[in-house]
Amino acid sequence: MISGYLITILITIIIYAMLAHSLNIITGHAGQISLGHAAFLGIGAYTSAMLYTEAGFPFWLSVPLSGLVAGAIGALLAIPCLRVRDDFLAITTMGIGFVAEAVFLYTPFFGGAMGIGGINLPNWFGREMTKSEYFLLILLVFGFLLFLDHRMGRSWIGLAWASIREDEQAAGAMGVDVVRFKVLAFILGSAIAGLAGGFYAHFLTFIMPQNFGFGQSIVILCMVVFGGIGTRWGPVLGAVILGILPEIFRPIMEYRTFLYGLLLLAMMRFQPGGILGAESILPKVLRRYIFRPASQE
Amino acid sequence: MLWQQLANGIAMGSVYALVSLGLTMVYGILRILHVAHAGVYTLGAYIGLFSFRLVGDFWVSLFIGMAGSAVAGYLIERFLYSPLLHLPRIVPLIASIGLFIALEEAFRIVAGPHTLTYNARIGIGDLSIGSFRLTETQILILFVTFAALIFLWVFLTKTRTGLAMRACAQDAETASSFGVNVKAIIAVNFLFGSAMAGAAGVLIGVYDNQVWPTMGAIPAYKALAIVVLGGLGNIPGTVLAAIGVGLAETFFIGILAIPFPRDAVAFIAMILVLMFKPYGLLGKA
Amino acid sequence: MPLLEVSGLSKEFDGLRALDGVDFSADEAEILGVIGPNGAGKTTLFNIISGIFPPSNGKISFQGKTIHRLKTHQISRLGIGRTFQLVRPFQNLDVETNILVASGHPYYPSFRKSFAPFRKPEILGEVQKLIDRTGLQTYARQIAKNLPLGIKKRLEIARALALKPRLLLLDEPSGGLRFEESDQLMELIRQIREQGIGVLLIEHNMQVIMDLCKRIVVLDHGSKIAEGSPEEIRSNPQVIQAYLGKES
Repeated sequence: MISGYLITILITIIIYAMLAHSLNIITGHAGQISLGHAAFLGIGAYTSAMLYTEAGFPFWLSVPLSGLVAGAIGALLAIPCLRVRDDFLAITTMGIGFVAEAVFLYTPFFGGAMGIGGINLPNWFGREMTKSEYFLLILLVFGFLLFLDHRMGRSWIGLAWASIREDEQAAGAMGVDVVRFKVLAFILGSAIAGLAGGFYAHFLTFIMPQNFGFGQSIVILCMVVFGGIGTRWGPVLGAVILGILPEIFRPIMEYRTFLYGLLLLAMMRFQPGGILGAESILPKVLRRYIFRPASQE
Repeated sequence: MLWQQLANGIAMGSVYALVSLGLTMVYGILRILHVAHAGVYTLGAYIGLFSFRLVGDFWVSLFIGMAGSAVAGYLIERFLYSPLLHLPRIVPLIASIGLFIALEEAFRIVAGPHTLTYNARIGIGDLSIGSFRLTETQILILFVTFAALIFLWVFLTKTRTGLAMRACAQDAETASSFGVNVKAIIAVNFLFGSAMAGAAGVLIGVYDNQVWPTMGAIPAYKALAIVVLGGLGNIPGTVLAAIGVGLAETFFIGILAIPFPRDAVAFIAMILVLMFKPYGLLGKA
Repeated sequence: MPLLEVSGLSKEFDGLRALDGVDFSADEAEILGVIGPNGAGKTTLFNIISGIFPPSNGKISFQGKTIHRLKTHQISRLGIGRTFQLVRPFQNLDVETNILVASGHPYYPSFRKSFAPFRKPEILGEVQKLIDRTGLQTYARQIAKNLPLGIKKRLEIARALALKPRLLLLDEPSGGLRFEESDQLMELIRQIREQGIGVLLIEHNMQVIMDLCKRIVVLDHGSKIAEGSPEEIRSNPQVIQAYLGKES
């Protein structure tokens, strides 16, 4: 069948695609910069891990619950985040990320620096799932999420989000309850990130606080920006490309991170809309016929 | 004991102030979060270290470190930020983050991943009163910060260029219609702020006797929290916040001995303050 | 009962008095002009009425309801629409979608309703009517940011009309327009009034004001210095002084 190595990469990419998608909802649809998104990945991962290892919850319960818990915490954090504007928000979300990581690191309940281990792949039909099957499961869930996103894009919610992203004040003057829709985006984005966290935990089989720090938040953000904020497929494409890149660069592992930084720099300098963004050369043709920004469907 | 902690806290806070000043000044004038500023800080440490190894004199190495950082800051503004000013804010932010990552890696590739020692003698001697002790590095830190702040205050309030800079921070378009050379002002802004960061890098390098590629990471995040805490673009607020954080860290860790990472203190303080004052301690809408 | 009642409205920004004890009222089916030299506080007045920020003092009631503490979206849902002095259409959306945003006002409050698709025939039909009324037919699918100024201005009006407002705040709608565009605009505003909608009109173009308004309110340095018919205003010495003073 497919090699174990390839499947591992595929699973990694699909989880990141889900993460990038979830951040895109917050950043792209609601126009809120978040530099601490990995916190929700962590909340989901730890929730699933704790429920599974400590409370004996099966995968099929622990993972959906991790999405719910992450969404609930997102709801709690949404209000203070929305009181804060623009650049303040960027740093506040960064702060939230640091505090979350610190909580995971320093609370013995969460296993401290050693993290939590023994989180296995789910069981079904009386046996443990294979990695290929796990990949297909996540693919299915993600496909559903993308469909949901498509539906929302065509709904009043999607329209409200588009108007908020364009001009918040004008949107308000046109009857859109800006705060409400931003909170919605926040909750949805954090819930999906939490869900991804659940899948992540069962895939890695052990998790540590370092997995969920600022670096991780930046990786996710870069995928979104690289692919194109606010577009439907941009973040997915970003996840694929930036997910595969480390593997391509493996021979020059020494310089991987360096090139990554340079890539970001170059992207922003020369193609800030992302690969699928508005000003980019590549999608100008594609967009006319295939992909359209989520708000215009 | 309390005095010692107080002194340590203020010394730490002063370093934070030196780093954060450049960050808040850049924000004030360009509205950009100059994350790569921390890379400039580390660059200062490395340049200082290598010139020290060449020349053997601390003061020369400090000067060269500051000069090197200043130039780097200027180049960053000229070639990276300037072309991106008209784009949505997230673009220069990510570019800055990318640059910061690349810089850290460049340091690792060029100078090696290991911690290097910066064993410089400043030559002014420590201050000891009974059990209270202020090391010579701490004294110098306090002195440099104090001098920088005085200089900045005089510059901004008493000189024409300083006035022009304040005008630019308020409204660059109007300022330029009054004949202010905005480009030059921005350059001066970056030169000064980066030089301060370079100084901080050298001073910390000597203080800890350690220089390593990722030494800029913690100051990067902390400085961001500090400038937000003080009010983005607000210089007195930033200094206040920096000293405050330095004291808070020392107090919580040193005295209360709470097993919480000292690096999270800055962010917690920031989040708490933002709840009550959404624009920071001294910031305004 | 008047449509809109403003009493004792004041606004201070950091020690600067932008508005000082302004009183007036506006009725349905009337076009009330709001004029005054630059910096008089006209746009600030609109911003407070539409809920962008609250007043420091005073009261505003609309159809008998007190509205000066409400948020922007609540006020627009109650039936007050507005345009902006420096046009702010949703730049990357097309004309039709721009108007659709405002058409959604009945659906946004409910999560269930707002999950429904917005490109429904009934809704699109209503939007099409607005597009026809405001003469935007040829631009319906064009992206807002590339449109000429005159079209953007009409788009803003169409968008505000989608709120089914009883009161429309127009902030310098003829600014930057050529003569025939200006005439067309005036015609549109007259039609809006004929529908029974009340209009508050900020304008610098005196021609437009004198032609359209039966009643005018004059602001200067945040205070109301005159109110009356166009003839009364034209010959009011204080008004003349306020404008002349600005010229010298």
